[in-house]
Amino acid sequence: MSPELDNLAALAHTPLFGILLTLASYRFALWVYGKSNSLPVFHPFLVASIPVIIVLPLVGVDYEEYRDQTRLIAFLLGPATVALAWPLYRQLHAVRSVLTPIVVATLIGAAISAAIAVGLAWWLGAPAEVVGSLAPKSITTPIAVEVVKSTGGYVSLAAGAVAITGIVGALTAGPIFRLLKVNDQRIKGFALGLVAHAIGTARAFEYGEKAGAFAGLALGLCGLVTAMALPWIWPWVAQWLGQ
Amino acid sequence: MIDGLLILLFFQFLGEILIRLTGIPLPASVVGMVLLLVALLLNTPFTQRVAPAAGALIKHISLLIFPLGVGIVLQWHRYEDYAVALAVAVVIGTILSMLLVTLMLKKLMSKAGEPHEP
Repeated sequence: MSPELDNLAALAHTPLFGILLTLASYRFALWVYGKSNSLPVFHPFLVASIPVIIVLPLVGVDYEEYRDQTRLIAFLLGPATVALAWPLYRQLHAVRSVLTPIVVATLIGAAISAAIAVGLAWWLGAPAEVVGSLAPKSITTPIAVEVVKSTGGYVSLAAGAVAITGIVGALTAGPIFRLLKVNDQRIKGFALGLVAHAIGTARAFEYGEKAGAFAGLALGLCGLVTAMALPWIWPWVAQWLGQ
Repeated sequence: MIDGLLILLFFQFLGEILIRLTGIPLPASVVGMVLLLVALLLNTPFTQRVAPAAGALIKHISLLIFPLGVGIVLQWHRYEDYAVALAVAVVIGTILSMLLVTLMLKKLMSKAGEPHEP
């Protein structure tokens, strides 16, 4: 290759390239999501990944290098997590009257979601790192990718498991509510937010403002409870699972 | 927007300080979130100004997250041996959770009563 072309190819190894690729992929994914009328299977998390997964191997950038290039974007996850206090604060105001059953439901629900994921993966013989990656799968991603560090899991796997949980939850909620004959907007919203975090919350808003508010509250509380409990409980769970 | 960003980074920093002082095993950003929530509930001056920055970051949270998710495909060799366990735990596990959580809520909420629900 000529020196000019070499110079050009080296561009792929700059943060500018990584961030441009990331932003362009995300913009494309937003467009697809809008066109699909916000169908959960076309969630930006999935669609935005496709161009990145195709382009990186073509230009010879591995995943470690890409993570390094996009450090600026990853940094924003910190303030984004702190920002979750805002919607939580707004929802807490709205549902003060039924706060006690809601807190009880959050504690039990968060435990159910985590225990089922961990139990199934462990039963099917997944190693400790994989089981640990799934423990926070029902909580909102920015919190999940922080918490997974305390369970010795993989950040990538946790992020993916969270996204797929949200999509599966949002898609199966309708049939499950019909099967169990649920008509209460509060229950629909709360179940969606608790199990399927942000993607479930978006789905809940389709049932109405009230379902959406309860979903937002469940998302915030479930994330909070899991993040506060898991780092303390996990060493004990890991020992009990014999890992 | 700048005020909001300033508030968010400040509370994350507070979380970081608290963790270093106490050694509690929680993520700094989660502690920052709790501190900000408490500050908001106590009507601390200026904290309401967090709204525009918080809204923008939360709206585009997928942008911040998906670069982490692509690692599943690009580092597939790490996970391929456990593909079945993963698929079952994530897909079946989610459906099971949804069923159980909805059942539990029906029990709890009917006990709590909702006389105003049409």
